[in-house]
Amino acid sequence: MKMEEMSLSGLDNSKLEAIAQEIYADLVEDSCLGFCFEVHRAVKCGYFFLDDTDPESMKDFEIVDQPGLDIFGQVFNQWKSKECVCPNCSRSIAASRFAPHLEKCLGMGRNSSRIANRRIANSNNMNKSESDQEDNDDINDNDWSYGSEKKAKKRKSDKLWYLPFQNPNSPRRSKSLKHKNGELSNSDPFKYNNSTGISYETLGPEELRSLLTTQCGVISEHTKKMCTRSLRCPQHTDEQRRAVRIYFLGPSAVLPEVESSLDNDSFDMTDSQALISRLQWDGSSDLSPSDSGSSKTSENQGWGLGTNSSESRKTKKKKSHLSLVGTASSLGSNKKKKPKPPAPPTPSIYDDIN
Amino acid sequence: MCKDYVYDKDIEQIAKEEQGEALKLQASTSTEVSHQQYSMPGLGEKYPTWETTKPELELLGHNPRRRRIASSFTIGLRGLINLGNTCFMNCIVQALTHTPILRDFFLSDRHRCEMPSPELCLVCEMSSLFRELYSGNPSPHVPYKLLHLVWIHARHLAGYRQQDAHEFLIAALDVLHRHCKGDDAGKAASNSNHCNCIIDQIFTGGLQSDVTCQACHGVSTTIDPCWDISLDLPGSCTSFWPMSPGRESSVNGESHIPGITTLTDCLRRFTRPEHLGSSAKIKCGSCQSYQESTKQLTMNKLPVVACFHFKRFEHSAKQRRKITTYISFPLELDMTPFMASSKESRMNGQLQLPTNSGNDENKYSLFAVVNHQGTLESGHYTSFIRHHKDQWFKCDDAVITKASIKDVLDSEGYLLFYHKQVLEHESEKVKEVNTQAY
Repeated sequence: MKMEEMSLSGLDNSKLEAIAQEIYADLVEDSCLGFCFEVHRAVKCGYFFLDDTDPESMKDFEIVDQPGLDIFGQVFNQWKSKECVCPNCSRSIAASRFAPHLEKCLGMGRNSSRIANRRIANSNNMNKSESDQEDNDDINDNDWSYGSEKKAKKRKSDKLWYLPFQNPNSPRRSKSLKHKNGELSNSDPFKYNNSTGISYETLGPEELRSLLTTQCGVISEHTKKMCTRSLRCPQHTDEQRRAVRIYFLGPSAVLPEVESSLDNDSFDMTDSQALISRLQWDGSSDLSPSDSGSSKTSENQGWGLGTNSSESRKTKKKKSHLSLVGTASSLGSNKKKKPKPPAPPTPSIYDDIN
Repeated sequence: MCKDYVYDKDIEQIAKEEQGEALKLQASTSTEVSHQQYSMPGLGEKYPTWETTKPELELLGHNPRRRRIASSFTIGLRGLINLGNTCFMNCIVQALTHTPILRDFFLSDRHRCEMPSPELCLVCEMSSLFRELYSGNPSPHVPYKLLHLVWIHARHLAGYRQQDAHEFLIAALDVLHRHCKGDDAGKAASNSNHCNCIIDQIFTGGLQSDVTCQACHGVSTTIDPCWDISLDLPGSCTSFWPMSPGRESSVNGESHIPGITTLTDCLRRFTRPEHLGSSAKIKCGSCQSYQESTKQLTMNKLPVVACFHFKRFEHSAKQRRKITTYISFPLELDMTPFMASSKESRMNGQLQLPTNSGNDENKYSLFAVVNHQGTLESGHYTSFIRHHKDQWFKCDDAVITKASIKDVLDSEGYLLFYHKQVLEHESEKVKEVNTQAY
């Protein structure tokens, strides 16, 4: 049949239908055959099985949809113990604390630059032992466990001793000085040690002297400020401390004997008053702040030693040392090193002070 | 002779080549429609499906336990441990690892590292992340390496604090884009039009800005590459909503309740002509004078994955707050009304499209939603991820649970990720096979 020559309009319905059927059948056959060939080819070439999975093992991966469980059937919040290895320092860190650790590790945190500055000052020393010591700030950091056992204990005992001055929960002593020179930035009261130093330019000689009897005082090369840490501050050596005192107070300056944060050798009476005014002894009005002009009561508020017995124990020790304040004054301001004075009975303090 | 059909590789190869030649001839002789750049699939080139090679077959034969990404199986889902305020990062990772086209790229191992040191390559780390998340391992993954790399390469994000997920997304895409080209130091300008990395292929769209001079009606057009669209919300200080929300009936099948703003409303506002005001006169190129003008933004080129960002965090001079207005968004979105090519019809008021316009190329499907709970200062990010059609899961750091579509659509919405439904070929570039994404 020559399709080209025939005109479709000339055909009757049944013939049209037959043609339509034929075309339809052809199409269906082609597509079926095409599909068959696809499968046949897949089997022949060996990739037909690729789609299969192993139904048995797939059962392990079925999604669970029950309250209190995640899709794997696990209970929530059991992942506290996950750990990872820090790429920077290669230590094993708890996963949920990794971000704060990494911040310090890479030196990006608020305190890290300060820590770095200390280290720079440190590395200028020949003293090897100090350069090994970790920064005290990290003691408060739970995950900084590097050699922390011994140091933490050591620091803790120091902490107890120094508590009236450097209570971690209270503003720093330097805050009273801050009032004076107004230069200190607001340090984080919850860090153990002070975050900023003291700018010594604005301090008078009396202030300096009293400062140097209780604080490390070593001038940071970076910030040109004095270190406000204790006399046993590990970032600086005794040589440095001596040098600072000689620089400020003359060649006869001597490093105070350090047994407590309070050193009594070089106090003037006025200084002692000022010093006492900065302390708050159980909030006792016995030592009401004398108005030396350099301190304010408001500064002392945060210093409350609280009322728990452990603190009062410490204050007793404090008081015992302070008692020498009065007596020391009679010695004038000579800076001779004195042996640690024996602790007089407590009541004597009040006698001296009042 | 068994009379079975035989498939000879060489003959097939010859046949394929000849077929290709024939098709090319066919395309070039057909009448060209001058303004249209794309060629209809099937006429220009033939893209065959992938077939395994013999060594691959052997390997697969030896390992019968295979994993499929199929509905009702956990393959492809895995929690992420919060490393300390890193929920924003976890949500973006979940969204990226469930982007179908990106998933296909990485799981088929198509990344070739160009970086001088692969340990610092974020794309390599991404690749490793995909492997981890699709491993079927039920225990959550710890993305510490990712955090470390991001902090190194995007310093402005480094630091232990809560951060913005959108900012993280853009920074991550930027680093990935640079590393795809092996550029460590970020020297090359980002988003150059000539970049062909996978990030640009997927995420980069073209935002067209038309400034019309009021005097001579001359139009100055610029097209900028963009990775996302940031939308103002009603109630913010800077926003200006000339039309009442929901006035026009839903173009995109969003739940249309009067008073509820929809994503389409936001987009409409984003692409409306805006009078720039007398204080912002521009120098018109054609009439060479300073005139007032109107500016209009439209999409010139649609990305494969469109990310919408609701500007919920307001940092104005007056106040800093989070705008918690609920915005309704659809499962399927047609971007046609917001294209540059639709400007004419919009001006004539024909914004609405018939629902079955027959033109699928601008249609998108929602596949990820990132939500924020809390205040400007402090909050928590979670995400909803579409694992299969109509199968959604809520990702809350280490905990993945099943979620309903209603949960997803009722959520506040901060970042919305939409994936194109139909991907097109571009004949000049080597591209993926034309796939029906869903």
